[in-house]
Amino acid sequence: MSFDVPDDLRYLESHEWVRVAGDTAAVGITAFAQDELGDVVFVELPEEGAELAAGEDFGVVESIKAVSDVYAPVSGTVTAVNDRLRDEPELLNEDPFGDGWMLEVEVADESEVDDLLSPDAYRDQIE
Amino acid sequence: MSNSDSHTTGSPYAPQTAAETATMLEAVGADDLESLFDVPESVAFDGEFGIDARSERAARREVARLLGRNADLTEFLGRGHYDHYVPSVVDDLASRSEFLTSYTQYQPEVAQGFLQALFEFQSMLVELTGLGVANCSMYDDATALGEAATLSQRVRSVSGDRILVPEHLREGKRAVLSNYADGPELTVESYPMTDGVVDVPALTDEIGDDTAMVYAESPTVRGVIEERLSAIGDLAHDHEALFCLGSDPVALSLLERPVDVGADVVVGDAASLGTGTAYGFGLGMFVTREEYLRQVPGRLVGASEDAADRRAYTLTLQTREQHIRKERATSNICTNQAWVALRTAMHAAWLGPDGLVDLAEDCVTRARDLADRLDDIVGVKAPVHGRHHFREFLAHTDQPASAIVADLAAEGFAVHAVGDHLVQVCATETTADATDEFVAALREVAK
Amino acid sequence: MKYDQARWTDDNEDRYEPLLSEKASQTVDIDDSPLPDDLTRDSLSLPDPAEPELARHYTRLSQMNYGVESGPFPLGSCTMKYNPSFTEDVAARADAAIHPDRPDSTTQGTLALCHRLQDYLGRIGGMDAVTLQPPAGAAGEFTGIQIAKAYHEHNDDERSEVIIPDSAHGTNFATAAMAGYDVVELPSGDDGRVDIEALEAAVGDETAALMLTNPNTLGLFERDIEHVADIVHDAGGLLYYDGANLNALLGRARPGDMGFDVMHYNVHKTFATPHGGGGPGAGPVGVREELAQFLPNPHVRERGGNFEHYEPDHSIGKVHGFYGNWPVLLKTFAYIARLGDEGLRDASAKAVLNANYLAEQIEYEVPFGPFHHEFVASAGEQDAADAAKRMLDYGVHPPTTKWPEIVDEALMTEPTEGETKRSLDQLAAAFNAVAGDSDAELADAPSRPTAKRIDQATAARNPRLSWQALDDT
Ligand SMILES: Cc1ncc(COP(=O)(O)O)c(C=O)c1O
Repeated sequence: MSFDVPDDLRYLESHEWVRVAGDTAAVGITAFAQDELGDVVFVELPEEGAELAAGEDFGVVESIKAVSDVYAPVSGTVTAVNDRLRDEPELLNEDPFGDGWMLEVEVADESEVDDLLSPDAYRDQIE
Repeated sequence: MSNSDSHTTGSPYAPQTAAETATMLEAVGADDLESLFDVPESVAFDGEFGIDARSERAARREVARLLGRNADLTEFLGRGHYDHYVPSVVDDLASRSEFLTSYTQYQPEVAQGFLQALFEFQSMLVELTGLGVANCSMYDDATALGEAATLSQRVRSVSGDRILVPEHLREGKRAVLSNYADGPELTVESYPMTDGVVDVPALTDEIGDDTAMVYAESPTVRGVIEERLSAIGDLAHDHEALFCLGSDPVALSLLERPVDVGADVVVGDAASLGTGTAYGFGLGMFVTREEYLRQVPGRLVGASEDAADRRAYTLTLQTREQHIRKERATSNICTNQAWVALRTAMHAAWLGPDGLVDLAEDCVTRARDLADRLDDIVGVKAPVHGRHHFREFLAHTDQPASAIVADLAAEGFAVHAVGDHLVQVCATETTADATDEFVAALREVAK
Repeated sequence: MKYDQARWTDDNEDRYEPLLSEKASQTVDIDDSPLPDDLTRDSLSLPDPAEPELARHYTRLSQMNYGVESGPFPLGSCTMKYNPSFTEDVAARADAAIHPDRPDSTTQGTLALCHRLQDYLGRIGGMDAVTLQPPAGAAGEFTGIQIAKAYHEHNDDERSEVIIPDSAHGTNFATAAMAGYDVVELPSGDDGRVDIEALEAAVGDETAALMLTNPNTLGLFERDIEHVADIVHDAGGLLYYDGANLNALLGRARPGDMGFDVMHYNVHKTFATPHGGGGPGAGPVGVREELAQFLPNPHVRERGGNFEHYEPDHSIGKVHGFYGNWPVLLKTFAYIARLGDEGLRDASAKAVLNANYLAEQIEYEVPFGPFHHEFVASAGEQDAADAAKRMLDYGVHPPTTKWPEIVDEALMTEPTEGETKRSLDQLAAAFNAVAGDSDAELADAPSRPTAKRIDQATAARNPRLSWQALDDT
């Protein structure tokens, strides 16, 4: 089975994606990750204003039979949280790169983005 | 293998014939049964346990012989373990093997019966407490209290590590709580009681912002109905502490609803419905507010639909539990007391709400009436606390309590000794017929 | 309409059996109670079925439930063996139904029986002293780890870590955390057993204990157990035995002889007390002599022909409000007294034979070996959870699925000694039929049990945990 790995995103080995636009970055989990987890039933996210550090966990995704920490691809301040996930955690399954986004972050250090996996590198990892 | 009355060679519950055993050994390429054990010589056990095998009848006789040494006493005992009459239909239905020999409902499609029964059990506790979430059992009330203390750590936004418990608390319950408090480094401290109830001003002095949970009971271990639960709840909430209330389903059928007095968690023993006296065998109930749902310990049954679009039940929110979350689980509990909960639900349904309320009202009047009768005895003052009681009460005796207990035992009765000159007496419908004799016996020994 | 086991179900009905609350409910107002109004609730609403209706309700529910007496129940790690009927009669004895607060002098029978059971279990496990107080296996683990902690503290040697193999049961990890320890997870070696090098790297001054199951959850005996024990002991740690798999070894090897310092017995597994739909069980804990001073309070001892409770010198306190799950302990005693040495040995031999025979008959790949009481097959390309659902259509209870994780799509299978060859052949036929079924057939399963595949995601996303939470009641 091959999974969508959009070309305009960067990735973490732990299956998070980040979409950088200027100094803000949207963060979510990949199509591969949601498939591994199965039906997502609960998402725990930080509050707006929280500080994230690259590589550290910032939230939890639960499916019926698994619990997974979610890691921050970059450091920064949380500027928006996808509140829809509270009542519709299934968005992570249905549209992981779109409506299933988790957070927006004001990026503290843009150079961190360069350390992330390219789409090709991530594709290699999951194939 | 045979089931004659003489004992059989091997396990009577391992049904393979010698011929089958031989065929199976051949199929797996083994010479004999012993060669199947991959145990190094150096740790192999070649001794005997020295336990004789017996026929079924002889095994039953052996138990009878041992238990025959128990004295035959009419027990006016309570303090956390109560005897209410359990109707035969509960024994009959609960012992159906589909219930008794099943296990945790990991395959809900073939466990709908037990799941529905546990869902009904949870619902009954929700009605009794007014709180939104009941799990489907803890081991007993003491471990449920321990779990409540650890829950207080997980849900509290500010830090605090003190668990405040009443001065009048069963010692065993406190000891269990201390063990649960040990890992998360909580301290357990007592607050004073005055004339049988919580001393609210004293509690006000004790409590602080470092308090994580305040525990109170109604009825208390001495059988007193607590009168200021709301004040205790308010006090706890003023300090962002959880208010945990200890009670039991019979009492909850009549007393103030926990939700109305601000309880955040309700724990207690529910086996007094459905099981009766069983040497302390219990059923821990654990009920809490919906907002703490994800921090609840133990199993939860939820409603869903199946592929035929019918309502069906399943264990849910299992990510809280040890088999998924491992060291980050809300508790280590796995095997629980599900079958005891089944019995409790059956008994509660058999009584119905009017039966439950009647039973609870009887618990008040029986204690009152018996206390009045004991108070008429020379050398006895009862009740010690001028309060409303439930099932049981404290009595003061001029004679040492230990002598009263021993002398009553010789007459065939049991009561608690709780202080040098304090005994505790519990009255339920199961001892009602013996009350006159008991009063007469106490009259003799109390002089 | 179709006839479904016991009751006609209208195809249009939206539930299999109405809730008690939907059948008969009543609200009682509480007004003239013997208590002042401000101490009572206003009303109580609960089901109110008459006894005949109650009997039908629960009988119907029982018919929608599968137990050991319904058919094979090879749920790995759970030891779902036949529960002898006579032990129920033993537990129901009137002279067993006593209150826990009676004076010892009036409970000599119960104390004598407890003392004898302590002794039996000690001999079976090779342990010097045994407490009966823990009410389940996990509670036994907690007791054992608290004892280890007390031991280290007694020696002024506080330690912070408990080492646990990755194949261990979830309760081991949760227990260690509950007792305040950091968990060090030990990766299994290529042979599915403890990786000695990894263990050597993991132990140290902070090691309070290693928790181990033997045979482990793959059914494999840890052949290096003495070496493992030396490594842990040399580092000053204790060796804890998770007794869930003891049914594999009765009379062949004892944890005490293998170097374990503290262990729990899982009596609802090894000694055939019924699992009761999830409990009650009991988890007695055995210890070496040196640790007996830390056992829970009270312990039972004999003094001049009489039995009494006493508090061990450095007791960890209590893990149950009273004395544990007494009726379960009584059934345990009855079972051991019935089987004796020969019966217990035979039970293990047949449990191991059954597991090996079944492993041989099934077409799924079964990695590792040699096995004892259980084996872990791999569903391979199939989803193990779906395969399990499909097994229900072949009339048997499926194995434990997706655990331990070191086998892909694990089917953890423990037939126990209670199955005949014929029943094992049927079980194998069910495994093999499922192995040959398509993914679509698996995904649509089950079709034969009363309920069809239940939507787990909806249950978790929108928790409805009581009839009060159902919209339509
Ligand atoms: C390997 C193992 N360890 C520990 C336990 C925990 O025992 P219990 O469920 O009695 O608490 C189990 C039972 O499920 C088990 O299989």
